[in-house]
Amino acid sequence: MVKANRSAMALIFPNIYDGLVPELTSERLMASIPFGGRYRMIDFILSSMVNSGIDNVSILVRENYFSLIDHLGSGREWDLARKNGGLTIFPPFAQNTISISNGRVEGIESILGFIKNQKEKYVVISDTNIAYNIDFAKIIDEHIKNGADVTVLYSKTDIPQAAKDAIDTSKGLYYTFDLNDDSTINKISINSKDDGVQNLSMNIYVIERELLIEKIQDAYVNGGKYFERDILIPHLDELKIVAREYDGYIARVYDMVSYFNENMKLLDDENLDALFGKNPVYTKIRDDNPTRYIAGAKSANTLVADGCIIEGEVENSILFRGVKVGKGAIVKNCILMQDTVIEAGAKVDHVITDKKVTISAEKEVKGTDTFPVYISKRTTI
Amino acid sequence: MGKEIIAMLLAGGQGSRLYALTQKLAKPAVPFGGKYRIIDFPLSNCINSGIDTVGILTQYQPLVLNEYIGNGQPWDLDRLYGGVHVLPPYQQASGSDWYKGTANAIYQNISFIDRYDPEYVIILSGDQICKQDYSDFLRFHKEKGAEFSVAVMEVPWDEASRFGLMVTDENDKISEFQEKPKNPKSNLASMGIYIFNWDILRKYLIEDEADPESENDFGNNIIPNLLRDERKMYAYHFSGYWKDVGTISSLWEANMEVLDPEHSGIDLFDEEWKIYSRNSGMTGHKISAKAVVENCLITDGCRIDGNVKHSILYAGVKVEEGAVIEDAVIMGGSIIKKGAVVKHCIIAEDAVIGENAVVGAMPEGDEKGVATVGPGIYVGDNAIIGPNGMINENVKDGEERW
Repeated sequence: MVKANRSAMALIFPNIYDGLVPELTSERLMASIPFGGRYRMIDFILSSMVNSGIDNVSILVRENYFSLIDHLGSGREWDLARKNGGLTIFPPFAQNTISISNGRVEGIESILGFIKNQKEKYVVISDTNIAYNIDFAKIIDEHIKNGADVTVLYSKTDIPQAAKDAIDTSKGLYYTFDLNDDSTINKISINSKDDGVQNLSMNIYVIERELLIEKIQDAYVNGGKYFERDILIPHLDELKIVAREYDGYIARVYDMVSYFNENMKLLDDENLDALFGKNPVYTKIRDDNPTRYIAGAKSANTLVADGCIIEGEVENSILFRGVKVGKGAIVKNCILMQDTVIEAGAKVDHVITDKKVTISAEKEVKGTDTFPVYISKRTTI
Repeated sequence: MGKEIIAMLLAGGQGSRLYALTQKLAKPAVPFGGKYRIIDFPLSNCINSGIDTVGILTQYQPLVLNEYIGNGQPWDLDRLYGGVHVLPPYQQASGSDWYKGTANAIYQNISFIDRYDPEYVIILSGDQICKQDYSDFLRFHKEKGAEFSVAVMEVPWDEASRFGLMVTDENDKISEFQEKPKNPKSNLASMGIYIFNWDILRKYLIEDEADPESENDFGNNIIPNLLRDERKMYAYHFSGYWKDVGTISSLWEANMEVLDPEHSGIDLFDEEWKIYSRNSGMTGHKISAKAVVENCLITDGCRIDGNVKHSILYAGVKVEEGAVIEDAVIMGGSIIKKGAVVKHCIIAEDAVIGENAVVGAMPEGDEKGVATVGPGIYVGDNAIIGPNGMINENVKDGEERW
């Protein structure tokens, strides 16, 4: 099948950075963390790709992926149930040479036969810890125009303290770039402790498929594990690696506080429009009814999905689908995930409830803005 | 293998009494209850009752309806064998005809039904809001050994003469059918939902078509003919919520009843009997710190900065600061601008109500009109639409319509 010049397939790594939010990933992976009222992190990545004309998407899952498989189904909701391409989920292939690690090289090598059989000219690679709404068609066009071998997206930002403080950084947790005048990369730093605004990699790459296959084979044979350390850094002189700043709206999740804050930022219309305004973000359909506000309910500065029943007071909060807030209950500064029940008279402030949590009548739970209380899935308090 | 039962859904109705709402839309495609269209109810009832083959008979303004139904996936009606099929009138070797009546619509699709070789056919109406288990209806039909069954509702005796009535014996066997009689002998009103044995229906459709005098209508022709021949005909009693939303006021009222499931009996929050629909795919709704919401249904994609009381807002409605909405039905994508006052009315999809405009009014005395603004209409700043306004063209700034 002939496709346009910029045709691309995508590889998604849904487990990378699981360790940053161990509470949220105890029963799921980064890609299926609920975000923004009715979405999972992966919805933003898949929707951007589909809206950019990428309809061949492979997801290389490593562990804890039941929730993701349940969420994605056949991929129909993202228009990825296709005869050609569409959605493919690759579970870890039981082979004693492959460990369940974070290495992209090993992951890609394990499906190299599949990648060789594809027709697309380019490959887009992404993790799932950043919610974004990126036009990849534009990025790929620029990649072609620049004559780049690899294009990598970065944003200008301080390195999050939580990332700097992470205990296990041996795997190459984050990358910062020193750039030449022509936007090619002069130096890639691993786990830099530098203060101030840095060129922080978003770990989103565009590379020609044939080149990717070649480099992965080389690196794998030589024991390489990590795309950045073992492919990009040794080839900075030989390959044209262009860093491209992405200055659109992104929500980066790197710990519980950033998860909380990035959700809360969506209560600002400007941010909400920036993340959702351009192109639709697709997600699994639940067939909920509209949200019902019963007499006595109060709601101020809230982002609420369908299927909720609200009888109490809700302020500065994000409610996912199917949340119930009972009479006289007070919800402030909270993120309540799917099917949370706040019973009558209960008070919650700065709390993140995971799916199907129940706060019993008259109970009080309170966290702070620097330390939101997290209540794990199916807990009853 | 044949199907036990398939459904034929009459969706050709123009819904002319919905005026501005059905100018470009068949009645079954009219939005309802925040995120549904009327046709979602019979389609969801079918799939929830285990009926996986549905023919939808369309005729009037079918574009929106066709696109909405698509491959039937939102209702789980995308099937290898069966599923949902939209059936407009088509040209045949003998010529082409519009559907002349409800019975003729089915007659013209005999070959569609024959493809599934069903034992039973259920005839449904695409303009009713009702949650009904058709499998229970079919169980009744089989238990009675009926050839024809009709779902009936008990109505108050003083209203009975407005309906088609079934006169029955103590075994629910039908002995007489009265169409809007002056002196009703029964208060069992036909809901226009029938189960036929297919061989019987097929025979009577062919006979009816051959009769040049016939109006080709189920109520006026087929049912009287069955009675004439003393067929085994039974009335199945249904007692749940049922509403024909054929008029502006009944459509408005049914929407208001959705707000009060505890008393009205139409519960859209029923996990056991979900109503499926094609979703907007919008993000959650946003209520600002300035907004007040009281006793409402609000759907994904809404942005609320104003005051909303006892109203239903469909997907993607924007209510700007200082706007006041009460007892209103605001359909998808409409914008209510700053300071506008919108009360006791229906605003159709993608309409814009200008700044400080006034649409409708709370009932006073005998004045109970439901103001209606058609889809895509622009009502200018400071314009006034009276409680009986029926607006299907743009209204200029400051203009008044009563």
